[in-house]
Amino acid sequence: MKKAQPWIGLLVRLGLGGVLLYAGYLKAFTPDKSMMAVRAYELLPIWLANAFGIILPWLEMGAGLLLIVGVAVRYAAIFGSVLMVAFIIAIAQAWARGLSIDCGCFGDGGAVDPSETKYLQSILRDIGFALLGFYLIRYPVTKFALEKNKSLQQKPTPGE
Amino acid sequence: MSSKTPKGPDNVTRNLVIGMVALVVAVGAIFSVISNRENTSAALPSSVSQEDGYGIVFNGDLTGVPVIDIWEDFQCPVCARFEQTNGDYIEKLIEEKKAKVVFHTLSFLGPESVLAANAAACASDENKFLGFHRAFYQNLPAENSGAVTADYLVALGQFAGITSDKFKSCVANLDYNDWVNNVAASGGEANVNSTPTVFVNGKEIRRATSGADLGDYFDPAAFARAVEGK
Repeated sequence: MKKAQPWIGLLVRLGLGGVLLYAGYLKAFTPDKSMMAVRAYELLPIWLANAFGIILPWLEMGAGLLLIVGVAVRYAAIFGSVLMVAFIIAIAQAWARGLSIDCGCFGDGGAVDPSETKYLQSILRDIGFALLGFYLIRYPVTKFALEKNKSLQQKPTPGE
Repeated sequence: MSSKTPKGPDNVTRNLVIGMVALVVAVGAIFSVISNRENTSAALPSSVSQEDGYGIVFNGDLTGVPVIDIWEDFQCPVCARFEQTNGDYIEKLIEEKKAKVVFHTLSFLGPESVLAANAAACASDENKFLGFHRAFYQNLPAENSGAVTADYLVALGQFAGITSDKFKSCVANLDYNDWVNNVAASGGEANVNSTPTVFVNGKEIRRATSGADLGDYFDPAAFARAVEGK
């Protein structure tokens, strides 16, 4: 298990990094749609929702790139996990309030027909991504990471 | 990072990569924000009112009549359905001066929506917006299939009775590109999250709740009641 851990970490890193990079890429170049998707959650003031819609895709891509090349893995994983937890909360509240929107996670988004909502799938998927992030926060040392930080490879010292 | 972080080539690589990624993210985000800003010096089509969210206004001088704001995207099939359901009625309201109608042509579905919205503005300069609007929806091509080109839009314009060279160059040169962007920005401010979205006197008309219910959008009688406030 100990030997396999960095290899599992590599897969997790590429998986979460790839998802973030792809999801960001799909939204970054269609900012009107992305802003619409965030507004449709009816959670934030309009100006803030628009700001998130336009900036978040770029941050996702940045975190995704860092995970893929393997630099600052722990920080990128913290960002990714926080993001996924925020998405889960946002989707759950939309579901609970009876909004009919698309999660807008991979482009699209906005209001949709009530028959086209996919809240449960979206939440389960994001829980999966959040778990990948948690794994990397706990075990940030992985194979083929550009950053070979010796301090990370030491056993956790008491009080760390 | 902890103070145990070793100094050396590895750290340089790390910081270099972080710096590069941060730069790409910052430049991309800033460029996105700036290019989505409202451009107050944009060229505006003749019948556009900045106070009405950069929409194309009909009967702007009337008072005491219902105000209908229609937010649409030319590539949206549901908008075509709305036009087919209520287009005749809306055109009649405009002709008989019974309502002020504002068309807001959003463009979030893709670059072909931008081309179409620009061409609609060019048609508005020729006083043929309604004809162009109708012709476009009647021949709605598949979304972002590459069918909507300058040539296609000029041909549609001819179908709607526009023959001037000014229209052709306006369509081909995207004369109202900045205005299209301003309409999109005002859609954000108006919290329009899907198309079509229709407001009567500032209040959104009733959306369908299930497959069998048409709401105010797709039931002509219900739409007329919503407009006339009955």
